[in-house]
Order: sequence, then structure tokens, then C-alpha cells
Amino acid sequence: MSQENKELILDVSDLKVRYETEDGVVHAVNGVNIQLERKKTLGLVGETGAGKTTTAMAMMRLIPSPPGVIECNKIIIDGMDVMNMSPRQLEEVRGQEISMIFQDPMTALNPVFTVGEQIAESIEIHEKLSKKDAFVKAVEMLEMVGIPGSRAHEYPHQFSGGMKQRVVIAIALACNPKLLIADEPTTALDVTIQAQVLELMKRLKQQYDTSMILITHDLGIVAEVCDEVMVMYAGRIVEQGTLKEVFNHTKHPYTEGLFGSIPNINDRKSELQPIPGLMPDPTELPEGCTFASRCPYATEDCEKKQPEYRYMGGTHYVACIAYDDPDFHIKRRVTNG
Amino acid sequence: MHRYIIKRLLMLIPVLICVSFVIYFIMDLAPGDPALIIAGDQATDEMIEKVREDYGFNDPLIIRYANYMKGLLKGDMGSSYVSKKDVWETYCQRFPATAKLSVAAIIVSLVLSLILGVYSAVNQNTWKDNVSVVLALLGLSMPQFWLGLLLIIAFALNLGWFPSGGDLGGWRSLVLPAITIGTNNAALMTRTTRSSMLDVIRQDYLCTARAKGVSEKKVIMHHALRNALIPIITIAGVQFAYILGGAVLVETVFAWPGVGRLTVDSINMRDIPMVTGCVVITTMIVCVVQLLVDILYAYVDPRIKAQYTK
Amino acid sequence: MAASTNQELVSKKYAKRSQMAEIWRNLKKNKGAIIGLVIVVLLVIMAIGAPLFLDYQKDIVSQNVSQRLQPPSFQHLFGTDHVGRDIFARVIWGARYSLPIGIVAVIVAVILGVTLGAVAGYYGGVVENVLMRFGDIFASIPHILLAIVVVSVLGQSTINLMIAVGVTSTPAFIRVSRAAVLTVRNQEYIEAARAIGMKDWQIILKHILPNALSPIVVQVTLRVGSAIISASSLCFLGLGIPAPAPEWGAMLSEGRKYIRDYSYMTLFPGLAIMITVLALNMLGDGLRDAMDPKMKR
Repeated sequence: MSQENKELILDVSDLKVRYETEDGVVHAVNGVNIQLERKKTLGLVGETGAGKTTTAMAMMRLIPSPPGVIECNKIIIDGMDVMNMSPRQLEEVRGQEISMIFQDPMTALNPVFTVGEQIAESIEIHEKLSKKDAFVKAVEMLEMVGIPGSRAHEYPHQFSGGMKQRVVIAIALACNPKLLIADEPTTALDVTIQAQVLELMKRLKQQYDTSMILITHDLGIVAEVCDEVMVMYAGRIVEQGTLKEVFNHTKHPYTEGLFGSIPNINDRKSELQPIPGLMPDPTELPEGCTFASRCPYATEDCEKKQPEYRYMGGTHYVACIAYDDPDFHIKRRVTNG
Repeated sequence: MHRYIIKRLLMLIPVLICVSFVIYFIMDLAPGDPALIIAGDQATDEMIEKVREDYGFNDPLIIRYANYMKGLLKGDMGSSYVSKKDVWETYCQRFPATAKLSVAAIIVSLVLSLILGVYSAVNQNTWKDNVSVVLALLGLSMPQFWLGLLLIIAFALNLGWFPSGGDLGGWRSLVLPAITIGTNNAALMTRTTRSSMLDVIRQDYLCTARAKGVSEKKVIMHHALRNALIPIITIAGVQFAYILGGAVLVETVFAWPGVGRLTVDSINMRDIPMVTGCVVITTMIVCVVQLLVDILYAYVDPRIKAQYTK
Repeated sequence: MAASTNQELVSKKYAKRSQMAEIWRNLKKNKGAIIGLVIVVLLVIMAIGAPLFLDYQKDIVSQNVSQRLQPPSFQHLFGTDHVGRDIFARVIWGARYSLPIGIVAVIVAVILGVTLGAVAGYYGGVVENVLMRFGDIFASIPHILLAIVVVSVLGQSTINLMIAVGVTSTPAFIRVSRAAVLTVRNQEYIEAARAIGMKDWQIILKHILPNALSPIVVQVTLRVGSAIISASSLCFLGLGIPAPAPEWGAMLSEGRKYIRDYSYMTLFPGLAIMITVLALNMLGDGLRDAMDPKMKR
């Protein structure tokens, strides 16, 4: 699954993250490979607890340690390996090369500083500007995300949720990073605001030529924004490919299950088909396929060992042994419309 | 904001009336006849009776209290039964020593508790944390007067670095009493700082700050501490007010000529105007410090400021 | 299968336990709390058992000038004081003052504070306002001054010392119990109790106070320690138990006069206070964590 000769903004190989707590070792991320080309958007999809946020935090080396432990071959961002960096170098990379939009705008902003100060801080650090100049630029950023510059002197509690998320976006983009990680940027927002924020992110991404990783459990957003998709389950990527490959030629039973869980607005009579059961306890993961206990197609072989990645054409890969049988196909049929 | 301050100052009036009445009333219940103290040891019965007449001790309590309040409204706190000196003047003579000690002590405790508390929270559940937790617990369990005595034995009597008592002017005589009070307060404040920092340290906005490239030191000292400050200054304010009101024990141990000793001595002498005066002024100071702390909140946390101006 | 073992595990983990057993289980895990508990138990045994080995007249208060101001030795572990009394025996006997004073003072504070706090929280409105203002006023007078005033009004005795220290610890209990009452005041089962005709005091006693129990218990353990310090402070100032009783604070006050040449006299009584209070604080902290794991810091 290599993509040589292309300029990669991100190249992560065999990323593992575990938390060593009193109650046992939580295996949050278990061998994730991500490669992303410049200016592309990758959707990282999966249910809560799949390890998406941990993956993102690990790429920024923001996993608190202890209890977190990162093991990885390499995390190369724009040609630099984050794994070999000193704290000082990491500070330089964060915010400038790679930055992050957090899930909950209500808690992501520091309540005791004005939004202007919070945007300016990043500019001050990375562009070595004076406090005053940084603030001027912060006001510009604020206007860029659609907030009147005059509000730069106000505090987070004076803003609505959607406005706060715009501020968070402004902070993330303040230094024009090459890679932007957006962790469920719209989950905490009203539906109407969601659309606005997404639109804003799409526009700014284009304007700044930023590459992006969008973490979400909302397949609708993925379809709208992403070029490529990775489906994550229990700390592993179970299926990956272009948007078209994963959405129109779904291979993994878990991905199928995700689609089955979305209400279909065109066919109100169709029933939801939720995935039964829960994700396995990350302190004691099964030896075989982690999805086997919930999988309608599971056989005894599934519980024996981790399925390997299988090439499905194009850039499409799936981790499922069912495809050892050339006639196997999942039930989901792609209907156009 | 100004309206809030004025409102708070007006609320002081009923508090002071209450406190002065309670103290006046309690002191009146105390055994011992103030007339005997005023008239002196060799006084005859007639002389004592005359004192009773002059001072109005034969009037009912409520009349005496009303007379006292009449004077108080005019700014006259009466004069001591014992020394015959003006209460306000006597208090003012003693206050500078107390103020000096209070400021020094609160600086000691702020420095100690912020360093230990933040350090402890950042290293939660490691041996470093455990050491500071135990230190704080020790400080909390040590009677102030005993710590003072130990410091005297070590640093005044054995090493001879500092004087063992009295306010000799200069900073040397201030060191031991300030450390005694400061250590004791620091113990409580370290615990507050630690738990307040632990509340803040897992907040998302610190992650936002780290993701911006802010250095870890600045994340803790700037972003986190600023948010953890409210409970810390609350405790610091209360402690500061108490020391200002009279660190009786430390003043006793170090023979420090502050208002705490003045109050206790007057209580022992049944010097009602002096006691009432001291307690009223002390309460006033406590309330004003409290108000200052509340105003300080507004500068630390903009959300609180918004509440005041409502 | 994986799923069934998982379930077994879960049911084992969350098997229902009585609350007391749960608290005890949490407490046992906390080394500091157990050390504190052991020390407290030892101190109590020491206080109760002292008369078996020591005679108050002979060993504690009788003067023996020929033995005065002897430094610590095998014969006199902690040395002797200015009138030749054995400091070790006096320190041991001192537990018979400090512990009961601390405990009774806190009981006084609990009775006063919980009653006032529960009434304030339950009735609300004017009653609450008046009571809470009153509490605030009390709190704005430094504790030690308040205690001194109370002692000087009531006169010096052990009982009055307990009352004085108890009164000054009261506001903390008013606050805790009022807060606890407020959290349950408007719950539906209180409405229901009222509907079936229970009297107010029955409701407070049966339904509301049990909910406030754990914060009150935690306050009690922590306050006994500070009450012991307050009481010995008053004794140190000469406002507590009259001499020659071997109260630790009073012993320190005596030792202070000889501090220049016989500093051991000020060492041991203070150490006794510190160990006692430290043990109570460790136990209190442990109890707080054990009763409410969410509060664990």
C-alpha cells in the first residue's frame, strides 16, 4: 500500500499507542499506517472509542505521558520525523506545520483570555511578531472566519458555540499550517451551524492549500468533504481507499454496518440496521479480528489471528479474511440515488 | 462594578452593628467588675461606686450600648478602662507591626504554596507529588506556636541568625514570625493549589494551547495557573485577613507588639471598649479584604466580572 | 467465549456491596489512612490505659525538685521539667485531655452546626438568610479571638474549653450540612414524605441528614485535628485547663520559659500534638477519598 513518487505530507507507519493505567493497559491504537498526499483530505471514520482522537493526538505528540506510551516506526510530517524531535522542536512544529481543531468548542478555548489574545498567541510564537502586530493579524484571522474584528477583545463566554468553533478554526489556521487535523469539528454544533462551519473549513482549506485529516463518525460529512477514507475499529484501520472506493464498493463488514446505521432520508420505510454489541474492551483485545464478535459473516478462522490487509484494486485495502473466498461479497448493494 | 462595591460597603454596616453588639453583650456577661479595674486596687467602696456612676455601669446594658454606638457614629471608639488612652489611637499604634508581619507572612505562604502546589499537581501520583503532599500535611498538623518555638531554638538560640523576639525594626526580626505563620498557611494553600490545578490540568483548552506550540512551562504557568487562581486567592484572602486581625499565638511566641496581643490582653483585663473596638476594627478589615478579593476575582476571571456588572 | 467471560468479569467487578464495606475496601488501599488509623487507635488505647500504669498524684503532678531539669535519659525518656516531673509520663497522660477535648468540641460543633445548617437549608427564605448571615459574621471574627472571648466569659475549665472550641468549629458544619440539604430539598421523595404527613423534623432526620452523612463524617475527622490544635493553643496562652494538668499546650507554655537551656521541654509535647493531628488528618483525607472516589485527588 505504498504510494511512491508522490509528495506525501504525512507518512505514519505502524503507530501504536497504549495507556498504562492502574486497571490495566489500554491498547488504544494498534498499528496504524497513514499516508496522505498534499492538499488532500482524509476522512478518519469510526465509532466513539475506536482510537481516532488518540491517533490524531499521537501525530502531534500530545499524548500525555504517563500514562500514554507511543510506539511507532515513523511519523513524518512534511519530511520531518516527529518521533525524533526534542520538546523544543515539537513546539515549533505544532501550530506551524500541523495544527488541530478540537471536538468541543465549549471547552477548547481558555475562558480567561480574550479570543484575540488566543489567536495572537500562536502567531506570536511562530512568526516572531510583537504582541501588538500579532494581535492585528489575529483580528484579520477573526474576520477571515466570519467574525467581526471588533469582537477580538471579547471573552469566549460571550460567543455562541458556532462562533467559538470559528475561533478555534482561526487559532488552528493562524500560522497557515501544512496539515490540519479536525477532530469531529461539528459534532457539538447545531445542524444548521454544522453546514456553515464545514463550508468555512472547505473554503479556507482551499485558500491555504492545507492538507486535512477529518475525524468524524458522520459519513455524510465524509462524503461531502473528503478525498480519501480510512475506517477505524478498535485501534486498527479496517478499510481504506478513495471516497468512491469505500463508499461505492464497500468491502469490510464493519463499514457496511456503519452505512446500515444511517437513516435513509429517501426511503423512510427502510429500517435501520444497527451493529449489534459493543466494541471489545481495549484492555483485553481478542487475538483474532477485533470485529469478529459483532460480525454477521464471522467464522471460526476470524478468531485465530489478525486479518492482513488485502489489496482490492486502486488504492483500496481491506482487513478481512472473508475475501480469501473469491466469491465472498457483503450484502450491501450500492444504489445510486 | 462601582455599584457593586458601594453595595458591598453598605452591607458592612449591619455586620458591624451585629458584631459590636454581640461582643459588647458577651463581654458584659463576663465575670469581673470593670469598675474594680478602673478604680484600682486600693479603691474604697465609695470610689468604686463613683466610677460606676461616672461610667454609667448602673445603666441597663442596652443604654450603655446605645451610648457606645452614639460615640462610634461620631468616630469616637471610647477610651480604654485600663490605660485611659483612646481606643482608636492605641489600635493605630499597634497596627503597623501587624500589617508588616501579615504582608511578609502572606508572601511566604504564596511563594511556598504556589511552587509546591503546582509542582505537585504537574507530577500527580509520582513520588514528587507524594513528598509535597506529605509536607503540606505536616505543615497543617503542626501547631503554629510549636513551630515558632522550634524555629527560635534552631535559628535564634543555636545558630543566632535572627533575633528570638520583638520588633526591632528592619527585616531580621520579621523573618522567623513570618516563616512561622507563612508555613502554616502555606500548608492549607498548597492543598488548595494542588486540587485546583488538578481540576484545570485536564481541561481541553490546555490541549489547544499545546497544539498551538505553546511551551509546557507556559501552558502550566500562564494558561493553567490563571484558571486555577480563584480558589487560591479565596483562601489567601481569608488567611491574610485572619493574620491582620491578630496572629495572637505567633505574636505571643515572638513577643511581637501587634494588635492580636492587644486584643487578648484587653479581654483578660475586661477592658470592654478596647475589646469591642479591636474586634470591630478587625471585622471591618476582614470584610474589606474579602471585598478586595472579590474585586480581584473580576480581574482574574472575566466571567465573574460579567456577573458583577449585571 | 470471550463475551461470556467478559460478562462474568463485569458482574464480579460490580457485585453489590454494602456501602460500609465499600468504604472500608477503599480505605484499606490507602496506606496513609491506615497508618493514621493505627496511630489514632494506639493513642486512644494510650489515653484509656494510662491510669493502669500511672498514678495521677504520684507520677503526673507531684513535684520532685531533686530530679528537676534532667535531660532525656533511659530513666526519664523525655527528661524532666522544672519541678522534676517526668515529661514522658506527662505527655502520655496529656492524651487524656487532648483527645476528649477534640472529640467533644467537634460533637458540640456537629450538634449546633448540623441543626442550624439543616434548618437553614430545609426552610430556606428568611430563616436561611438570617442564619447564613449570622454564620458569615461569626466566620469573619478570627477563630482564636472568638474562642478566647468565649473562654473568658465562661471561665477556665475543661468543659468551657470544649464549648469554646466547639463554637468556633460550628460554621464549617453549618455550611456542609446546609449544602447537603439543598441538594436533596426539592427531590420528589421529600415531597412524597410530606404528602404522607411526616413532620418536618422527621423528614430532616430520616431522609435529609443521611444524605449529608459522608461530608459530615469527613469534616468531623478533619475538624477533630484542628480542634485539638485550637484547644492546645488556648492552653498555651494560659486560657485553658488550669495547672498542673499535663495538657500538651500548657506544657509547651511552661517549657517556653526554659527554652534557652532546656529546649527538650518544648520538643516532646509539641511532637505529641503534631503526631496526633497528623494521624487524624491522614485518616480524614483517606476517608474523604474512600467515601467519594470521584473526589480523589
